[in-house]
Amino acid sequence: MAEFVRHAWSVARKDLLVEFRSRTAILSAVVFTVLVLMVFNFGRDPTAVAAVDLAPSILWVTFTFAAMLALNRAFQLELENQALEGLLLAPISRGSIYLGKLLANLIFVGVVEAIGLPLFALFFNVRILPVILPLVGVIGLATIGFVAVGTLFSAMTVRTRFAELLLPVLLLPFMIPPLIWAVLATARLLADRPLSEITGWLKMLAAYDIVFVGLAFLLFPATVNE
Amino acid sequence: MRLLRAGRWITAIGLVLLAGIYVRALAFTPIERFQGPAQKIFYVHVPAAWCAMLAMGLVGIAGILYLLLKDPRFDRFGEASAEVGTVFSLVMLTTGPIWAKPIWGTWWTWDARLTLTLFLFLLFIGYLVLRGAVTEPSLRARYSAVLGICGIPLLVFIHLSVYLFRTLHPQPIVLKPSAPSLPGPMLVTLLMSFGVFTLLYVGFVVQRYALSYLREQLEAAGGTGGGGGGGHA
Amino acid sequence: MPEAGPANAGYMVAAYIAAAVILVSYAVLLYRRTRKL
Repeated sequence: MAEFVRHAWSVARKDLLVEFRSRTAILSAVVFTVLVLMVFNFGRDPTAVAAVDLAPSILWVTFTFAAMLALNRAFQLELENQALEGLLLAPISRGSIYLGKLLANLIFVGVVEAIGLPLFALFFNVRILPVILPLVGVIGLATIGFVAVGTLFSAMTVRTRFAELLLPVLLLPFMIPPLIWAVLATARLLADRPLSEITGWLKMLAAYDIVFVGLAFLLFPATVNE
Repeated sequence: MRLLRAGRWITAIGLVLLAGIYVRALAFTPIERFQGPAQKIFYVHVPAAWCAMLAMGLVGIAGILYLLLKDPRFDRFGEASAEVGTVFSLVMLTTGPIWAKPIWGTWWTWDARLTLTLFLFLLFIGYLVLRGAVTEPSLRARYSAVLGICGIPLLVFIHLSVYLFRTLHPQPIVLKPSAPSLPGPMLVTLLMSFGVFTLLYVGFVVQRYALSYLREQLEAAGGTGGGGGGGHA
Repeated sequence: MPEAGPANAGYMVAAYIAAAVILVSYAVLLYRRTRKL
């Protein structure tokens, strides 16, 4: 068990090292996030629409795009120099490859979200500190949800033509439920509603995560085995 | 080819019976007092939804069986069920808004069930697109199986969301824990419609399956020398 | 017959026609695809 986790961490570490050494992907994701936030900010008429009404949607659009960026490059690394074959030949289980990739993607998206959230609060003048804990909880749970499925699917799409186009198409139905629950919960939180109102969504998010991480873990070998 | 012929017959019978359902629903089933005639869309919309869900469920099961047993017949079945499921989803998605407009006053609303049934349609489309993007048959079969299997829990979450969150969508009146609360003649029409739609599903899937099978046979036989087992019906 | 409710039969007809068109079209499509083989 411990070995399994170690292997997963090795895979994750490898990906993260590549990512953070070159820094291009993380930089583009952050720049993109800032861009989206700015556009939304200038796009609305402050006298007509209160920031807090649009805020949840804007936040989640931004995070969703960041996740897509991360997922698109998740397996692209492995395409070069036949790195994927090398990875598969390593004496580690397929499951730990999946977990490693999942971890790397989560950290990547997490970093972008960690930068984006304060910027969001700043640009839109939204008070997030009072609800920061549940907010981070919602963000974390939803992110795990779509990154779990996205990591699985990107393993498949990377070998097809139009991979960057195919991944969002396949992922869409799987992203919407966690996204809806997250947006609704975020809206409630930012509107200072009591926590009891969002427990239903938190439970759904958690259930979704457990189910899909488990399922993706089980199915991942089928996507890479010859 | 026998399978194809059987499929065609089943479909033909199904279509004739569908006409019968239409007559029964439109002329011989009472009009619902509060919703008016538009409520009768129920007899088409709900069975179509059932078939779409059934189709997706079977795609998922076929996927599991394929991954476990590696039998290409399961993959062929999955492909057929997905295409037929798309057709029924389309029926569901057109009749749904047409029903919604007079009853709820709006063509569309993002309530839990409507939204997520839209995504059932998108799931089917995704499945078909994925198949289109992968040319190698065994890879395509594996990938399709994975996608199909993931679709099942998504459907479960859809159903749960409806129960857990109050929405505009009518609460289930047939498939719920207590006895169905639909009055007699309406229930009969609905059940008959379920039967006919399911029959159509079977007819379509059998034909579509036969189509895949025959195509594969033709390809295997190659361009020269003519097909060996390829069929005339 | 008791009161018939709001007069929205037009929607009913539209939906029934739409469903029939979709189902019959698909049946025809399948027939033609399998015929061509």
